[in-house]
Amino acid sequence: MALALALGAAVQAQAQAIVTSRGPDQVAVTVYRNPDRGLDPLNLSWLGGYALVSETRRVRLPAGESELRFEAVTSGIVPQSAIVTGLGEAVIEKNRDARLLSPGALLDASLGERVTLRRTSRATGAVRTQDAIVRATANGIVIQTEQGLEALRCSGLAETLLARAVPPGLSAKPTLSVRVRSPQAVERTVTLSYITNNFDWQADYVGDLSADGHTLKLFAWLTLANGDDTGLADAATQAVAGKLNRERIWVPRGEAKPITLNCWPSGTTSDIPQTYDAMDQEGIVVTASRMKAGMAPPPAPPSAPVFEGGVIAQEERLGDVRLYRIPISVTVAARSQKQVALLRQPAVKVDSILRLRTAGGQLDQPLERVLVTRNRPAEGLGLPLPAGRLALFGTRQGHRILLGEGSIDDHTIGEKVEIRVATATGVRARQLPVAETAGDQALTLTNDLAQPQTVEVELPLEAKAVSGGRLVKRDGWMLWRVRVPANGTAQLRYRV
Amino acid sequence: MRASIILASAIAVATPLAAQPQIPSPSQTAQGDIAVTIYNNNRALIEDKRQLDLPAGRSRQEFRDVSAQIEPATVTLSGRGIGIVEQNFDFDLLTPAALMQKAVGQTVTLVRTNPATGAETRERALILAVNDGVVMQIGDRIEVLRDDGIPARVIFDKVPATLRPRPTLSVTLDADGGGRRPVTLTYLTPGLAWAADYVALFDETSGRMDVQGWITLTNNSGTPYINASTLLVAGAVGNAGNGGEDQYGRGGYPSSPPPPNGMYRAGTESAARERLGDFYLYPLPERTTIADKQTKQVSFLDVHGASAARGYEFRNGWLSTANQPLSVNSVLRFSSSRSAGLGDALPAGTVRVYQRDARGNPQFVGEHRIGHTPMGSDIGLATGQAFDVKVRPIVDNRGTVTFEQWRQTARYRIWRSDGQAEVVDVEQPVGRTFYQTQMRYVVSNASPKPVTVDLVQAGLSWDTRVVEESLKSEKLSADDVRWHVPVPANGETVVTATFYTRY
Repeated sequence: MALALALGAAVQAQAQAIVTSRGPDQVAVTVYRNPDRGLDPLNLSWLGGYALVSETRRVRLPAGESELRFEAVTSGIVPQSAIVTGLGEAVIEKNRDARLLSPGALLDASLGERVTLRRTSRATGAVRTQDAIVRATANGIVIQTEQGLEALRCSGLAETLLARAVPPGLSAKPTLSVRVRSPQAVERTVTLSYITNNFDWQADYVGDLSADGHTLKLFAWLTLANGDDTGLADAATQAVAGKLNRERIWVPRGEAKPITLNCWPSGTTSDIPQTYDAMDQEGIVVTASRMKAGMAPPPAPPSAPVFEGGVIAQEERLGDVRLYRIPISVTVAARSQKQVALLRQPAVKVDSILRLRTAGGQLDQPLERVLVTRNRPAEGLGLPLPAGRLALFGTRQGHRILLGEGSIDDHTIGEKVEIRVATATGVRARQLPVAETAGDQALTLTNDLAQPQTVEVELPLEAKAVSGGRLVKRDGWMLWRVRVPANGTAQLRYRV
Repeated sequence: MRASIILASAIAVATPLAAQPQIPSPSQTAQGDIAVTIYNNNRALIEDKRQLDLPAGRSRQEFRDVSAQIEPATVTLSGRGIGIVEQNFDFDLLTPAALMQKAVGQTVTLVRTNPATGAETRERALILAVNDGVVMQIGDRIEVLRDDGIPARVIFDKVPATLRPRPTLSVTLDADGGGRRPVTLTYLTPGLAWAADYVALFDETSGRMDVQGWITLTNNSGTPYINASTLLVAGAVGNAGNGGEDQYGRGGYPSSPPPPNGMYRAGTESAARERLGDFYLYPLPERTTIADKQTKQVSFLDVHGASAARGYEFRNGWLSTANQPLSVNSVLRFSSSRSAGLGDALPAGTVRVYQRDARGNPQFVGEHRIGHTPMGSDIGLATGQAFDVKVRPIVDNRGTVTFEQWRQTARYRIWRSDGQAEVVDVEQPVGRTFYQTQMRYVVSNASPKPVTVDLVQAGLSWDTRVVEESLKSEKLSADDVRWHVPVPANGETVVTATFYTRY
């Protein structure tokens, strides 16, 4: 109540009229992936991606000079990127003020000012107030009363200062505003667009491998996350696939100062518990720390695709990247993750192979299982695949079972797609240098499965087969591609 | 709460603290006619013309509302008929501990409160020492302050003259007569910085773009500058410790200078802007208040329909194989010249590029930082990576070559003044092994339009030669060669090249 009165007074004190736009009428958001995240999973408590927010707002401007404040913008806004259109020539300047109302700022603004000192008796509860002037706030508070100078909260008494008004220029949140000048009162539709940090997105692929292991039923979620404390309601939502350059730009955070209360040195000879001091301790540093985001929930396991119809994102070209548009308006709530269907490819032909890369030397290890396909219509694909993670499922007695997990980078149409999904524990490679000839290696592959397995071994360009197989050159490597029989072995001798 | 405030104001009227000097509220600034000149490297020059009421002769003047980060050594004060005796910057701050320290040997009033009844008793105490605790004399007793933990207020009679609530600049001056006169205070301060921000809306089909330029200035100096006349200087001055580089410092958070790339060719035209020495000047059109912790943007450039084009660039760092095709850089190319471009010099800053999506809404397609760019420069900004255009460099073969083969490629030609040419073989150490590397670059394009990729192979220092290639290259430097690779729509082009190397 008192605060409201005080605010009113502060506003009146300002020379120019203040017009406040409380929120957007329409909002569109385009979410961009964190370019540095690589293939790491989405980290909900630290989203390194960003978003472009475009809003329209209806404002009424008085004649003359006024300050138009935009409320309900995200707190991750990059103020340098804000674009305000629709006001024409009226705009004088754009401002973003980050001096926040905090205990320390209130106290700092009171320096040299008359305030009220309130003491409450711990014995009787009696409240006494008196006038005081704040003399120092730098490192402990010194106040002056009619009696003389005192240090606040060094006496062991319950005492505090009451300010009379909110100092001008302090706000609850960093504020974006434009200073405008209009010859007459007008009503305008203003478009505000800005880049904001703390958003991210990725594709989450869910693959169901057929029993024979050659067909994948592929579905993908567009998973987008908003780590900001501002939600975007009923937003036209897009996501951009591809890697865009970003510069490191320092955004001044809101400055919230704590109050520091320091007293003179005190010592004691007694071991009496100092209850009042303990209370002092409690109040010595009043830190106005920003609210910490709670521990982010672990990333949701990829959920099963819903029914076959529903909403699916529409893809289009945007310059040299791809834009995915969610065809309906959705609410991107504050601190939340949202999933919409991205693509659905019912029958993708895949090869499931095992892969080893070695340059010689002793080894004895299981092999990596890799799903290989080509992003072409012939293989049941042929559409851009944005970077993300893949959960690979098989079926056992009518139930899904997780076979492996992997991640893929952005793949365009026509590219070869390889996804490492698991380590095959029963298909192993053992390699030993052969003693008699320098550089000769003996490589043995063993397969404990009841099906034959295709294994690709990539060797350096200098490698030459001695016996057991043939090496062919492929993409800068010498390749030994071999089908290891069911419950059998294969062996290669080569020289590097 | 409301009652207490009303009560408080009533008391304020009833019992004015008349003995204390009046301190104006923060809205009444002590600043006069203020002019702020801001450089890129987080530094500013403040000129503050104040009206001072000076007594004749020597007096000490305190200057409030100067930058909280003022560099006191750079302060100068000038005015008609005044002489400076001395300048002081006092940072002996008024704190409870300092107050107690300065009270040693003096008497203070002690008010004890009975914890059970709240009753107060008042005594005078002589402070004997303040060393890890306060030792004092009350009558004939020696006591340690608050040793018993009982609440005790210490009331000091006055503020020691040397203690100040904030670091304070004071000047002692000699005036030739009394009265009000203007004096000019100038000083340097960190905490103010500026950079440019550009919004480029690029239309790929027409090859045009609209560019708006904004001056973005930030104030983290801890002080507002009220109704200031503001000038921005595109450059960094002084601060030799930082090499005079454009630190792009935003409020004491300097980041690396803008990358030197992005400018293909430095321009040689002069922009129609005010200049001083080496620097372009950008005065703000009207006076403005630069609040503390404020980011302020003012428009300075608005160009419509400048020509611009997309290009593709890829640089392979050394003769190596990539495990998968790598996206090429998507580069926005334009000029800052008068005839074919933006027609202005561009102060350092960030260029944000937007393109319209299928529904006509502008979407962000990447950003890039530029350094101070003269007018007439050719600029190429790598705004992102192309989703559809990729290069896969592959080492196809690596082997040795004989000295003879090596030698055949080591020749140069001398043109004599009589027009005769002579071919000279470079002397080589005999009996060494030399290497050859066959490279294959698969340049693919999944987009429905043909593109040209500027493919650069770097890492060619140490006498590396291109002896065979499927497409004519141009040598950019000792380290780099470049091919202009045309790639058809939805197709690929393979470039092969053989290099001889010494290592």
